[in-house]
Amino acid sequence: MPDARYAPLDALPRTAPGAQVWAALGGAGLTAGAYRDRRPGTGIDPAGLADLLTAVDARFSVAATLSVSVQLATALPLLTTGRAPVARQALDGALAGRATLALAATDVTAGTDLTALRTELRIEDDALDVTGEKNWIANTTTAAHFLVLARHRPGRHFTHFTWVLVPADAPGVTVRPADSALFAASGAGHVTFDGVRLGRDHVLGRVGLGLPLFARHIGTERLAGAQWGVALCRRVLADTHRRLAGRPHGDGALWDRDAVRQRFAAGLLRVRALHALTVELADQVALRHDATAAATLKAAAGATVHHVLADCAQLWGAAGFTTGGIQELRAQAALFGIGGGADEVVLGTLADAAEDVLAALERPGTLP
Amino acid sequence: MDARFTALLRPFLKPAGPGEITLTPDTDLRKLGVDSMQAIELLFAVEDTFGISLPDEELNDTTFATAGSLWNVIAAQLPAGAGDGTAGRETA
Repeated sequence: MPDARYAPLDALPRTAPGAQVWAALGGAGLTAGAYRDRRPGTGIDPAGLADLLTAVDARFSVAATLSVSVQLATALPLLTTGRAPVARQALDGALAGRATLALAATDVTAGTDLTALRTELRIEDDALDVTGEKNWIANTTTAAHFLVLARHRPGRHFTHFTWVLVPADAPGVTVRPADSALFAASGAGHVTFDGVRLGRDHVLGRVGLGLPLFARHIGTERLAGAQWGVALCRRVLADTHRRLAGRPHGDGALWDRDAVRQRFAAGLLRVRALHALTVELADQVALRHDATAAATLKAAAGATVHHVLADCAQLWGAAGFTTGGIQELRAQAALFGIGGGADEVVLGTLADAAEDVLAALERPGTLP
Repeated sequence: MDARFTALLRPFLKPAGPGEITLTPDTDLRKLGVDSMQAIELLFAVEDTFGISLPDEELNDTTFATAGSLWNVIAAQLPAGAGDGTAGRETA
């Protein structure tokens, strides 16, 4: 029985872009359900976030879901660190779905080398000046505001970075869409800030807390990625199961063949493992900002989505190459190993915590 | 450096070899494993434990260079008498 709450989503075409989906979520009052007590400043509610991501994933493209996910999990909570009216107004607009937000962290430099970012924030007595460029940012072409991670000092120290809220219509802001058919519906693009002048009240959080805030909020994006990965794999497996059961082969169906069933079961196993890990670690990420737990979820989601979609695509055979088919979905879903912390980055974080992770797996009193 | 500070700092330090770390004001935090991610967690732990916010102008690499430099910035934010201001030698 479909949940009537999601009727505003059902009213949209399956091809709706992310900004349209975001507007429908906010307009229906659904967005607030991702947060404890329905207030973004109190942090993520893992169950509420998973519900929304699953509902959006079931109805719209990977690109549209990306647009929603990054706003729900990271941009909107990060915006609550701004105390000035300008941030409050942007928050109200985003929560109500009247405006989209773009989280502009990735610079012209490699996303895996965040502290090398070049976008500069000059802090004057009563003004800010932002100059730089951000590439491959979701929601760029639709955003009313950019949340920009910029450096206010040279060097790589973690205290040299600050978040600043930049209105998309401020003089000096130039937006261009990314050359990507796969992610056009996410509003993906590149944005240039050319001497953008703003009031000091556009600083989000505090000067120097850019990377600490990023570290806290990227954790919830990694949790969201794992929750979304479960939803995506589950629906792809369900679609694939229906396909296999209805596809004649010999005296029966493709589903009756052992090789097919075993390959499919391996996918089931992977998604159940990701689901279990997500349930186990959700509160550690959402409540305790555990960076290792968040990296674990992100790494697991990247591997799971990759394997499950590759196996299901193989089971679809030539039909998988249909326009909008599973091979196209698989190409979009490569995002899980790249966005929000590439596989290599999150595995590195996990390796850094190797001793603690191994210690946590010990059963006290059992070792010689 | 008071006992709360050294107790807070201890889990962030990774000795290079066997034996305990002698914690002094000159103890180099980076050399003992306090990299960027660790320092971020240390910052949040300091602010939560002492109920303070480090001043924006003190959020820099100099503050996080040594145990003593970090403690001095923390002590300056504590109510009068709550921090002893200077550090004795501690064993972590």
